[in-house]
Amino acid sequence: MDTTAKPQYDDGVVKYLTVGAVVFLVLGTFFGTFAASQLAWPALNFDIAEITFARLRVIHTNTVIFAFGGMTLMATAFYTVQRTNGVKLWSNGLAWWTAILFTIGLLATVTTIGLGMTTGKEYHEQEWPIAIAIALVWTLYTFNFILTIASRNKETHSHVYVSNWFFLGMMIAITYLYVINGLAIPVSLFQSYTLFGGVQGAMIQWWWGHNAVGFFLTAGFLAIMYYFVPKQAQRPIYSYRLSVIHFWALMFGYVWLGAHHLQYTALPDWTGSLGAVISLAMIIPSWGGALNGMLTLSGAWDRLRTDYILRFLIMSLAFYAMSTFEGPVMAAKSVNALSHYTDWTIGHVHSGALGWVAMVSIGAIYHMVMKLWKTEMYSMQLINIHFWLATIGTVFYIVAMWVSGIMQGLMWRAYDEYGTLAYTFAESVAAMHPYYVMRAFGGFIFFLGAVVMLYNIVMTIRTAGARSANKVESLA
Amino acid sequence: MSTLEQYLSTDWASMTTHDWAGLIVTVLVFFGMLITFALALRPSKRKELEEQKYKILNDD
Repeated sequence: MDTTAKPQYDDGVVKYLTVGAVVFLVLGTFFGTFAASQLAWPALNFDIAEITFARLRVIHTNTVIFAFGGMTLMATAFYTVQRTNGVKLWSNGLAWWTAILFTIGLLATVTTIGLGMTTGKEYHEQEWPIAIAIALVWTLYTFNFILTIASRNKETHSHVYVSNWFFLGMMIAITYLYVINGLAIPVSLFQSYTLFGGVQGAMIQWWWGHNAVGFFLTAGFLAIMYYFVPKQAQRPIYSYRLSVIHFWALMFGYVWLGAHHLQYTALPDWTGSLGAVISLAMIIPSWGGALNGMLTLSGAWDRLRTDYILRFLIMSLAFYAMSTFEGPVMAAKSVNALSHYTDWTIGHVHSGALGWVAMVSIGAIYHMVMKLWKTEMYSMQLINIHFWLATIGTVFYIVAMWVSGIMQGLMWRAYDEYGTLAYTFAESVAAMHPYYVMRAFGGFIFFLGAVVMLYNIVMTIRTAGARSANKVESLA
Repeated sequence: MSTLEQYLSTDWASMTTHDWAGLIVTVLVFFGMLITFALALRPSKRKELEEQKYKILNDD
């Protein structure tokens, strides 16, 4: 028996999730750009409750994080677990159920938030029936992933590649964090009250909140990085040992950070200090991981001139390094005193979300589309245009928020010679206007890039058959 | 008592079950990290680990 023969992978569900992710990227960035425009020009709220900023902003975060991010994580996990373990999915049918139910859950989330049904807990706004459904779907996803790894041939694949560790760590952590933070007492079909009150409620919320960033938006996307950067670069990862250390440091470290969201609150002071200290310590493994990805190109940097997909992947690592330095600095109490509650936080989140998460996803999606449909992209030039739109849009966005945030912080703490506040809150809002316009412009540019990506991918899929036939003819 | 002694002094009698649970988990995690790093970084492990990185290059 030929033990090296590769199986026919279950790629149908991966194709569905890949295209779904890109559609949600377009929708999510559209909602975000519209919400940003509402802050610059409030008339855009149109006095319609369902699309006021308060609801649209949450629809935006849920669409980009859970719909775009979640579908990307599912697509890449199902794609890579088969290839790294040389085996088909444990259950293709279960994967399809997971994908379809997840889509329904996302649509239910967005709809109910638009109708004003929310728990009010950041990144966990789904009311209890939807939250339970999403937790069950997530468990199916995890279950299928674990059993696929378990069903591999242990002789030909004795070692489980590190990207699977990151995926699995993310799945397990998100399951228990999401479930515990979601514990609530329902009082009606779409109304519940959290089980945790007061300061304990705040602590549990940010234990989840920061780990939604740490595990969902970091560990999961590092799994993507550890598979797709070597594959696209056609070079092995710089140091496998460093990737193992990166993994364990993240798993042990990230769960401690949540308290840095609650500096100068009713939380005991030492918890904030602990959160800040561990945050600063996390710079070391984060930068180690970023360098590990970048140095994979060591000796082949010229590839960046011609490989536009690789540009996305390497640029994402630059943003990963930058935002994992910025975050710990903002967690330190002296900086936090200025930065907290200001737009600087929004800028920091988007340097991670647009620069790191979206760009590494985009690189991986372009790579997968070519492999899944067994074709070249419809237009490599459009990928280059997308790269520059995404990069310039991100830079516009975060620079606007840095300036706006620091200015806000300084205006709020300024005193005059009599010891009274130098500026009213309304004056600080008025001063933000130019930066809100600049932020909306940056977001719009990023959104345009997403539209270009969707067009390029749709055309690639539609013309894949014809181009394959032409290739065969030319070979004959 | 010096300032350092004051800083490090702990009223062990007032530790609750939650405090003990947290302390034990923290200490176990700390040693878990040390052991993991020692296992991953020991020189004899280098070749075995590093050869894993080549396997994905031809997986499809």
